[in-house]
Amino acid sequence: MDSNKPLTEKESLELITSMLNKAKQSYHDSGIGPIMWGSVITFCSLITWARFKFGFDIPFDIWLLTLLAIIPQVFISIKENRAKKARTYNDIAMDYTWLAFGVSIFLLIHANTGISKGFEKDFGDYFKSSGFRFYDYTTSLFLIIYGIPTFISGGIMKFRPMIFGGILCWICSIVAVYTPPLTDLLLMAASAFFAWFIPGLIIRRRYLKLRLQGNV
Amino acid sequence: MFKELDPILHSQLRLAVMSLLIGVKEAEFTFLKEKTGATAGNLSVQIQKLKDAGYIEVIKQFKDNYPQTICKITAQGIRAFEEYVKNLQSYLGK
Repeated sequence: MDSNKPLTEKESLELITSMLNKAKQSYHDSGIGPIMWGSVITFCSLITWARFKFGFDIPFDIWLLTLLAIIPQVFISIKENRAKKARTYNDIAMDYTWLAFGVSIFLLIHANTGISKGFEKDFGDYFKSSGFRFYDYTTSLFLIIYGIPTFISGGIMKFRPMIFGGILCWICSIVAVYTPPLTDLLLMAASAFFAWFIPGLIIRRRYLKLRLQGNV
Repeated sequence: MFKELDPILHSQLRLAVMSLLIGVKEAEFTFLKEKTGATAGNLSVQIQKLKDAGYIEVIKQFKDNYPQTICKITAQGIRAFEEYVKNLQSYLGK
């Protein structure tokens, strides 16, 4: 590109449009985050479902895996951010959206724990006989929160599978209000699988293709 | 009456750099070089001109022991770019 080349007004406008498009196309998600979280939540939901369905027990709370998954997520995020040559406004919007999601999930767990103490004090016998914990009954609330960042991310990336994934989470949250906790776990597994895991695989495939072409 | 186009922006490479920077929060020198296809020397000169005009901010730092140059458009740069596009549209009769 020549810095001293005289430009006509039309050429200037074309150059601006072309560069703005190039800047816009520089946002790339690697897909690792949605694949990892999609598989972890699906796995935990199905194991919990199987535990109740077939009456076996495991020596630890399977949902602790979600806490463990935060560690690789932090490393992946740092690595990906360091590798980026440009920080787009989409990057910033996505970072804030998923940070808000993470904080909201922790706040929901915190609120549920507080509420469950009161419930178990008053209805302890019922919880003991059913085997479910209080927050097995609050799947609907988790699904509402799962849907928010998924839907927003899909919109930012103009990526339909995630937009539909977000909507699926919300539909499942409605259904979960009317279904028993055991079915709620299957709804959670389906939501995580279709809203995160499958879109994550599609994003990953696109990303690897772009990387092969040298565009990432 | 047509307003004169800003001579700092009315240059192919400088306009390309400004158009890229207006679309992102910040970008590395290598990103600008890759997207504009300019040589490192020429790009450095034009970035310095944009910096001197107060249109961009240049941050020099180290990343993994290698020097890294990050460019960001300033508020003055955004105003100048918007004014340039407005004037350009008046020339094109839009």
